[in-house]
Amino acid sequence: MKGFGEPSARIIALREQILSATPRIETERSIAITASFKETEGQPAVIRRAKAFEHILGELPVVIRDGELIVGSATVEPRSSQIYPEFSNTWIEDEFERIGQRNGDSFQISQEDKQKLRDTVFPYWKGKTTSELATAYMSSETRACMDASVFTVGNYYMNGVGHISVDYAKVLKMGFNGIIKEVADAMLKADKTDPAYIKKEQFYKAVIISCNASVQFAKRYAMKAQELAQSASGQRKAELQKIAEVCATVPANGASNFYEACQSFWFVHLLIGLESNGHSISPGRFDQYMQPYFAMDNSISGELAQELLDCIWVKLNDINKVRDEVSTKAFGGYPMFQNLIVGGQDENGNDATNELSYLCMAATAHVSLPQPSFSVRVWSKTPDQFLNKACELSRLGLGVPAFYNDEVIITALVNRGVTLKDARKYGIIGCVEPQCPGKTEGWHDSAFFNLGKLFEITLNGGKVNGKQLGPVTPDLTGFNSFDELLAAYQKQAEYFVYHLTTADNCVDISHSERAPLPFLSGLVDDCIGRGKTVQEGGAHYNFSGPQGVGAANVGDSLAAIKKLVFDEKKLTLQQLKAALDSNFGHGTQAAVVQSNQDDAFDIVMEAVKKVLQENGTLPADTATISRAVAASSSEGESIRQLLLNDSPKFGNDIDEVDFLTREGAAIYCREVEKYTNPRGGCFQAGLYPASINVLMGTVVGATPDGRLAHEPLADGVSPTRGMDKSGPTAATNSVAKLDHFLASNGTLYNQKFHPSALEGETGLRNMSSLIRSYFDQKGMHVQFNVVNKAVLQAAQKEPEKYRDLVIRIAGYSAQFISLDKSIQDDIIERTEHTF
Amino acid sequence: MCSDAIKGCIFNIQKFSIHDGPGIRTIVFLKGCPLSCQWCSNPESQDYSVNILFDAEKCNRCGKCLDACPHQAISLSTSGLINRDKCIQCGLCVDACPTTALTKSGNLVSVKEVLDEVCKDAVHYRRSDGGLTLSGGEPLAQPEFAEALLKEARTRGVHTAMETTGMASIDVLKKIIPLLDLVLLDIKSFYSEPHKKFTGVESHTILKNALVISQLAKEVAVRIPVIPGFNADPQSIKAIASFITHMSNVSKVHLLPYHNYGQNKYQLLNRKYALVDIKTPNQTLMQELKQIVESFGLVCQIGG
Repeated sequence: MKGFGEPSARIIALREQILSATPRIETERSIAITASFKETEGQPAVIRRAKAFEHILGELPVVIRDGELIVGSATVEPRSSQIYPEFSNTWIEDEFERIGQRNGDSFQISQEDKQKLRDTVFPYWKGKTTSELATAYMSSETRACMDASVFTVGNYYMNGVGHISVDYAKVLKMGFNGIIKEVADAMLKADKTDPAYIKKEQFYKAVIISCNASVQFAKRYAMKAQELAQSASGQRKAELQKIAEVCATVPANGASNFYEACQSFWFVHLLIGLESNGHSISPGRFDQYMQPYFAMDNSISGELAQELLDCIWVKLNDINKVRDEVSTKAFGGYPMFQNLIVGGQDENGNDATNELSYLCMAATAHVSLPQPSFSVRVWSKTPDQFLNKACELSRLGLGVPAFYNDEVIITALVNRGVTLKDARKYGIIGCVEPQCPGKTEGWHDSAFFNLGKLFEITLNGGKVNGKQLGPVTPDLTGFNSFDELLAAYQKQAEYFVYHLTTADNCVDISHSERAPLPFLSGLVDDCIGRGKTVQEGGAHYNFSGPQGVGAANVGDSLAAIKKLVFDEKKLTLQQLKAALDSNFGHGTQAAVVQSNQDDAFDIVMEAVKKVLQENGTLPADTATISRAVAASSSEGESIRQLLLNDSPKFGNDIDEVDFLTREGAAIYCREVEKYTNPRGGCFQAGLYPASINVLMGTVVGATPDGRLAHEPLADGVSPTRGMDKSGPTAATNSVAKLDHFLASNGTLYNQKFHPSALEGETGLRNMSSLIRSYFDQKGMHVQFNVVNKAVLQAAQKEPEKYRDLVIRIAGYSAQFISLDKSIQDDIIERTEHTF
Repeated sequence: MCSDAIKGCIFNIQKFSIHDGPGIRTIVFLKGCPLSCQWCSNPESQDYSVNILFDAEKCNRCGKCLDACPHQAISLSTSGLINRDKCIQCGLCVDACPTTALTKSGNLVSVKEVLDEVCKDAVHYRRSDGGLTLSGGEPLAQPEFAEALLKEARTRGVHTAMETTGMASIDVLKKIIPLLDLVLLDIKSFYSEPHKKFTGVESHTILKNALVISQLAKEVAVRIPVIPGFNADPQSIKAIASFITHMSNVSKVHLLPYHNYGQNKYQLLNRKYALVDIKTPNQTLMQELKQIVESFGLVCQIGG
């Protein structure tokens, strides 16, 4: 743990509990919510949810794990998952028999529990889920667009929303008792003659029920700790007594020291998940709201403070979510996307980096587990010491932290109507989505839109598989100029983005009607002031954020057509169309798909679709989903080589293609921002892929950038894999040319480095310089993949995909794949020493 | 504005170079070199004119190059594809090749073209205190072009460095060295005979020039390629170190252990690599040599 100190024996043991855990599906929550809902038929939805929450928190087993200092678990076993049948549930039953047999990310479930779910849980929810209601709201045209895989709204369509950062500071300060008092005051002051008060009153009651339930839940922990203390001895006895004391105090009351603040934070965080099932529930600016309690606590030792943080970091890995089969194959490691961010500025525009910011980095290094998704904010006044430390953390190879640019994000949020003060307080949700914590319902992961598919449809005159789906525009052979092509792309974008936003709004309405969340709403401003849940528009700021995927493929394709067809006339549109239709002679799309029309393939495709609606990083080997047939030396392949080698590619700092990529993405973003959502907010596009770029590629035929049918699309705002051949500076320069202000729901840029390229003080300095200079050019986000041996070996096997891999050799750095194999072997052997 | 009249031949512009001068740099490789060091890792840099490189592993034997070549210099049955005696480096085969098995090394470019490309990374130089490094080949072998490049770089506020063998006329040195913020000067051997054998030229001009350069330069880093069988021994290094103490403005000495990473390029050029059996010097030896250099009161590091 060079530079970050060593974790304590306790943390090593707690970490081991996580690593060695066998995740299970546990049923207490689903049984409790079903029982409660059966009893509350006919009551207002918000009251039913509150009572169910109360019932769940009364029924869930109280679990204090060995050695824990911070307590509160959703499940008996570490890393296990409850079930949330009220959103969707049929897939769980479908997979019962396979779920424990998975090669990775398996969940055990007992026969008894299966039976309980079949008998008492699932039947009740038939016809009552948010998913079913959303479907009922959708028009057949909108569903047709989804069926054609132009976009997917799957995440919230099937699951809870999550994707929020609540006002943790409020609970730390006043406790749930304080919030109950606030609600009671609001009720007192409310105008009872206002007909809207009828609904408001129910909301207020629901918040009070939820807050009381949370207090009682903590009390159960206090009692359990006391009970365990009686049979414990020595140090553990004292620890358990302390836990009992802390849980008796918070989160009922405000925290008066750092320990209480840590425990209070954890209860809040845990309970949001138990209410909603969402992922990407993000702690946000942890170093900011925790700092006052650290500063006021004169008695706590540095070691204990660090250990408490480390305990929280471990707990963040205790939370889990059961996903369908293939999803978990694609997402090894149970991602929860709990984004925790440190550094940046305060609401007055002063640098806010503090002592805790550094302790959080140390916790990340100590725990070295996938959660939290650790992020840092960077701006011109970020201390170099802080940035260097963050680079040092990045160099450990965990893929964290992600770096965010205050200078872009604050402006982008202000442009969306967030006040300057609030914008300065932004945190990150999930992958890369900025929001003002505690005041926003951002619906950040509302959809993924397939820009590659949109482009393919444009080349086919609005048709998909020969059937007219979008508006009628000329097909590829009918364009007389490049501008006509762009105009058609614009027209198709208009049509499909309209249906995208409509689909999102159907899902949005279904959540407000069937799954209002009163506990969450008590923690998001201004729900209490407005007297309504976040789902009904109670938050100050409301957004919906659908992501565009495959920007680089559109840009590279546009550039190829412009240069080779219209400018240099090396290729006719007819030749290009024939080449694309034949998948460059590599076997046509139809043939490929048909040859795989077996059940297994369908299951895989469906499951991957679901998975890819979640955020995360897909392991490289899932790229094998693409089913390119062996290369042929046909005319088509020659055209493909021409497209690949004789046309500029995004990622090499070449204006002509970079600006086309910018335009291709901006056309989408500008369409998106025309629309509003039912909560009274606007749509704002993002350009990040999670990992859906792989799946989305499977439904897109060959494209004029030379990409074969079914191959992955480019990820996020990154260049197409292997196409950025001019090194990391040129790539960042290209990426920075996109309009990151416009894509205010977040952009994501991955860079890969070999550890040796970042060695020593010089390596750190160059890395931090690269971040600063990318941010000087108004890039929004960057994260570094400091590549290990496995990746280098993969690079040897598939060099075309790793052309951007830079490694240090002797006295210089070079592109890995340009080296002779014997040298590559040498470097692969060396890698182990580097780490 | 810089003149477009002056053009030069370069064979590569490499961005994000982090070991040839401070910070993040761009290296512009100029073609042509008066030396022909046997260990040269850029053999395509030695000629002053264009070279055609052929990578047999990328060739799909489609034969398009055969049709494109007006001089019948290509035959699929020829080892290395190209009959180098007949080839006039016109590059038509390269244009015809769909798989990039044939590539061209060498481009005639203007000062503006080069600096426009170099300055695309200006924002990175600013943050990292980086800049432009001229390398080669031997940049001083295209003196007018090198001078114009450096002047234009200075006008545009870009930090300048140059890797050089030191092989040039005094007039050229006087013009160019003052334009540099940092000179990375190779000194390979103090002894003339092995120098001649391994590099094609004797050492005395280079040594004499080294003294001139160090007088003219703001800062010099001396680089010693450590080549087994040539200079990878205490006596050779001692001689060089002793010589360096007579130079001025030397901030650092770099000992660069021999590597054979350029070897495959000899195949692409259908040339023979002379140092096949030589291994990279081990760490113990490198440390020993480093201590020798340091014993002369010089700051020394292994690697660039």
